[in-house]
Amino acid sequence: MELINNDDGTWTLSKVSELEHLMLSRLPDSADSTGCEEASNRLFPSPISPDANLDSGKKSSADSDWKEYIEPELRVEFRDSLKIVADDLGKVQIAKYEDVDCYEFNIPTAHADHWCSALNQARIVIHYSYNLPDEDGVLDMDPNPEKWMATLQSEIYGMLMEFLIKKVLWVA
Amino acid sequence: MLTEGSNVEIETSPVAEVEVLDQVTQPWQVMILNDPVNLMSFVTLILRRIFGYSEEKATDLMLKVHYEGSAIVWTGEREKAELYVQQLQTHQLYAVMEPVD
Repeated sequence: MELINNDDGTWTLSKVSELEHLMLSRLPDSADSTGCEEASNRLFPSPISPDANLDSGKKSSADSDWKEYIEPELRVEFRDSLKIVADDLGKVQIAKYEDVDCYEFNIPTAHADHWCSALNQARIVIHYSYNLPDEDGVLDMDPNPEKWMATLQSEIYGMLMEFLIKKVLWVA
Repeated sequence: MLTEGSNVEIETSPVAEVEVLDQVTQPWQVMILNDPVNLMSFVTLILRRIFGYSEEKATDLMLKVHYEGSAIVWTGEREKAELYVQQLQTHQLYAVMEPVD
């Protein structure tokens, strides 16, 4: 997989292998935290520090206000990003590299933040859904193949985020 | 306590007044807590964007989060603190706030 920042307000994700394409196609669904309370709590945390010197009534009031007014806005923003990424993923093209068919995506630069959001949401949900280890870059040969695939998926998303940050967002 | 400009005597508690004043003037601090998922480069990028910090300052704060478990990234009025926490949470950073003791 290779990311190229073009000069025309787009970036291209090229040389995407079959496996990488499979992982990318799972992105929108993987970011759904429904059914994983830990992931949901992490995506929509209380605004008040767990160690705040605040009486329980004030903390509870702040939490309920946040749930009522802010959390719905966060949910809309997260969902919008996933929708944009799903649409981008639907515009896949096939390109040949060294006689091998690869997938390619041409994506507006303005969508880069939505991609980062979607990738990050998915990484958070995957982490808590599969109880992945906290250390970076650990790709153990876990006997559970689903967990191993989840780790690989999260690593690929992390790598793509690093590409996006360094090649597109940092220079924007 | 009497309020002027009225024939009606209204009693308010001095304690309650101090509490309201504290709520208005007491500074709040915005903190980022460490989490095992967010990339270091992403945290640095978001700190630069939201607070306009230099790359050096944003990196220092990110490293403090990473090695010490949390970092205070901003201190000021509660309303602004809430706005910053919302902006940071929009980027899935583990952001919270608390009143400064």
